[in-house]
Amino acid sequence: MIRQENWKRQGDQQLGVLFDDGKVRRRREWRGVKDTLYDYGRWLGIMKILATFIAKPRNVKAMFRYRWMANYLAVPHMVDKFTMGLRDEALRIVHTSMDFVVYDVAKTMDNVFRGDRKTGNDKAFSDKCVLTDENAMTAFMMGFPTLKAILREVPTMFVANLLTQYSTTHYLDVAQQFGIPGDVCPMPEAEAGISIEDDFPVLGACAVQVNTTCDGSLMGNGIIAKRLEREYGIPTFQLVAPMRHREADVQDYAAGDIKQAIAFIEEHTDEKWDWKNYFECAKRVNEATRTRLAWLDINATDYPQFVGAPFSLYNDTNYMGNCGRSPDFPLVDAKILKYAETGCTEKRMMAPEYRHRAIIWGVQPQYCIDMLNWMVHCWGIVPLTDMLSLVNTKMIAEEDTPENREQAYYDMAWLNENMIMRNRTHGGYRVLVDELWEFCEQLHADMVIMWEHMSCKALDGMHGQFEEQAREKGIHLVWVCHDLCDPRVYTRQAIRDQLNVYMRTVLREEPLDPSIEFLPDENAW
Amino acid sequence: MSKKIAALLLKLLLAAAGFFAVTFTVYFFNLDMKLTSKIEPFLLRHYDKMERNTSL
Amino acid sequence: MKDLKHLIYFENLLQTANNALITQAKEEGGVCVAYTCENVPEPLMNLGPAFSVRLFAPNTVSLDISTYYMTGFLCESSRALLERAVEGGFNFADCVISPDGCTMINRCVENMELLHTMGEGNDRFFHQYMEIPLKADENGLGLYVVQCQNHVLNPLHEHYGIDISEEAIRKAVTKHNRVCELIRAIGDFRKEEHPRITGYEFHVLTLATYVCPKHLLIEKLEETLEELKTREPDAKPYRARVAVVGSEIDDSGLIKLIEETGAYVCADRFCFGSLPGRDPIVLTEQEDALTQICRQYMYRCQCPRMMNMAKVYGRKEYVSKIAKEYGADGVIYEQVKFCDPWAYERTLGSSMLREDYGFPVLSVDRPYNIASSSGQMRTRVQAFVESIEIKKLKKGEGV
Repeated sequence: MIRQENWKRQGDQQLGVLFDDGKVRRRREWRGVKDTLYDYGRWLGIMKILATFIAKPRNVKAMFRYRWMANYLAVPHMVDKFTMGLRDEALRIVHTSMDFVVYDVAKTMDNVFRGDRKTGNDKAFSDKCVLTDENAMTAFMMGFPTLKAILREVPTMFVANLLTQYSTTHYLDVAQQFGIPGDVCPMPEAEAGISIEDDFPVLGACAVQVNTTCDGSLMGNGIIAKRLEREYGIPTFQLVAPMRHREADVQDYAAGDIKQAIAFIEEHTDEKWDWKNYFECAKRVNEATRTRLAWLDINATDYPQFVGAPFSLYNDTNYMGNCGRSPDFPLVDAKILKYAETGCTEKRMMAPEYRHRAIIWGVQPQYCIDMLNWMVHCWGIVPLTDMLSLVNTKMIAEEDTPENREQAYYDMAWLNENMIMRNRTHGGYRVLVDELWEFCEQLHADMVIMWEHMSCKALDGMHGQFEEQAREKGIHLVWVCHDLCDPRVYTRQAIRDQLNVYMRTVLREEPLDPSIEFLPDENAW
Repeated sequence: MSKKIAALLLKLLLAAAGFFAVTFTVYFFNLDMKLTSKIEPFLLRHYDKMERNTSL
Repeated sequence: MKDLKHLIYFENLLQTANNALITQAKEEGGVCVAYTCENVPEPLMNLGPAFSVRLFAPNTVSLDISTYYMTGFLCESSRALLERAVEGGFNFADCVISPDGCTMINRCVENMELLHTMGEGNDRFFHQYMEIPLKADENGLGLYVVQCQNHVLNPLHEHYGIDISEEAIRKAVTKHNRVCELIRAIGDFRKEEHPRITGYEFHVLTLATYVCPKHLLIEKLEETLEELKTREPDAKPYRARVAVVGSEIDDSGLIKLIEETGAYVCADRFCFGSLPGRDPIVLTEQEDALTQICRQYMYRCQCPRMMNMAKVYGRKEYVSKIAKEYGADGVIYEQVKFCDPWAYERTLGSSMLREDYGFPVLSVDRPYNIASSSGQMRTRVQAFVESIEIKKLKKGEGV
């Protein structure tokens, strides 16, 4: 346990004071003069991003056209969830990362509506867009600097559910009315529902789908592709990421399919693959990898800094959605690293005690994404890292040579195979179970918070193995069951209660901040 | 001249203070989110009324 | 109709995973290659003394242990297999070859491995996991060949000294084709207006060819074919002819239940069914046998995990084709509960078969062992059969 005797949080002490039973918080947090002003300044920045976005008529039109757009009324609320209770460097790290994610998503949406046939309808722009999946590594776009990779499902489904907890329920109902059972993963199911209800923006010269992250995702793609192809005339390509991605004898196959994907894009966009741009992006991919490892090194010390959902969400955006293509990310990375280094040197903590060091494993509940931040303040459990952030650590070829041009297909394939989540949920039990214990050792964790996404069959299938092996190794394994993006199945409090019960009954501990042990946020955004 | 500059500065300062007072009040009492949370039900009703080309 | 002479014999073989023919084959020096997915090419597991046995768990009741290991959300097939493995029901296997096809079966086999459910006392026992293509194209074919070589042929040779030569593979294909031809010839009687074999009987015969050493079944299958040639069909027509499409049916009771409502199951397009599972493999001399086998498995594959759109559309076209060929009045899309691939496939399939191909469709999920909820299924099928009858009546009346 790490404890700082004289530690006192500036401003509000009992965070429960911010909550009532309403949709939004009673007020914003008092963080002391300096940090409140900082937070206020960042809030102004968010407001500016939103104002710039909504000033365009096509985006206003989109607001009235697409149901999922209503969730974007809650953007500042989402940022508040991530910054709850934070001060000093931790506050700055979260704002630096998440505000940039907000900016990036706003930019993506602006592009989406510009090309969208139902709103902006800029055909020339649309013809330079390639649709990709939400859960796709965009490595195959690294050599197309003049094309836009549009991750259409990110704003429609993924981010929407971070913003408001009930964002997917309507689409789940639509999908189930059409016969998809309620026991499949709600994420691809909701995406299928959006397609069925014709609530996706329609744009792009072509689309590339990937068999990530799971069987449900793979199968949902078929439903989406049928509508794209048959109704909107947008050709689709299905890019393969092999299941047993650590095996040497699948890499030729994976690389071969990357080549086919690139040829498909060239054919439908009249653009040529640009090696110079590819290797520039590759350098940035490596830089991002090095920075991510540096953050993890800091988190292995007694004073972790960049943690929780922002760590995961920022990495998702940078690693997967960006994949070295934007020159902006390295600047943000460097800024975060600087804050993290200072925070570690200054021994900054987010709570008076760090009682447990936890690895977060499994798939996070989208609608209860702030739980990791909550558990630091409520129980003194520090989330060191999560399964989704433990992705590629290998450096890829970054010099433009004839050999490296061939190697590049293997590197892109490798990145594609190591897309977040699927690099752990597929590839055999070694990557999911065995390596978890190795990470516990590396990061000095005594606890695993096991998100058990009840519809994630890949994870559920190893339930007993986790249970037995954790017991053998003397690691506290806390099962936290949820249904990813359907809060009707597990409410937020039902999710938190699983940890509360473990802490009180198994570990016999009392909360650091009892005012947030039970939060009345069932009706909240 | 200097009076004019001083008056301008004062005006700017007052405008900045006014801007700060208003926006900080909105910020601190979460008035932005309280407002948008009231807008959401109207939007949802609008979406419910829309005609849609629902099909697989 | 008069009972088939060997029906009880075949039915008895399906009462337990470790059936009498497996015991016999092992006593004769055979090497039992257990597998869990039809994407592993069967001839490659039937080289020389090796014989393939598809794992199944007949008469499953309790799923307690497997539910602890894999939760109640995994499909009942995968849980039933793990349960049976933990009970020691698959101890006859000399190795297990499992492709990373659907996630749940993969997890099931991984649990079998981690729990050391098989191979006790056999130091040559092995588990192999293989990658299989997700699309049908030449790139996928390259993978298929490499995977079959590395995860089927080489391990069999290294662990059991099995001859994996070109000649041995071609010989295995000939043996495999003999069974396919017999099942196909028997299955063709289902096209008749008054069929001389029931869907249930046919399912029993077909399932036996997957879960027993095939070479020991040939004699009985030949006799059955001969018997069918002169068998008198029932004069009374069936109320409706249906094609059954979906995930594996390890319990012939489901087919029986459907037929008890007055329907006739005329076509079987489910995992480990005869369409296209019992299509003979045609080999030429122009190319090595392994590549040809893989190509035919890949292009004929109707597994929903095949994700390129040609396959996505092609699967529905195939169902329509066989439904027409076998004279089906309607299609039943079924899935084992909690099966993700077939959950989506039956949604899209039932919609396309109805709207694009004009077939009445029943879309249902079901338990692994139909006995656990036969009443619900019976009601659904009865209603479907009645709806087909009403359609026929209206059509007859020109409504």
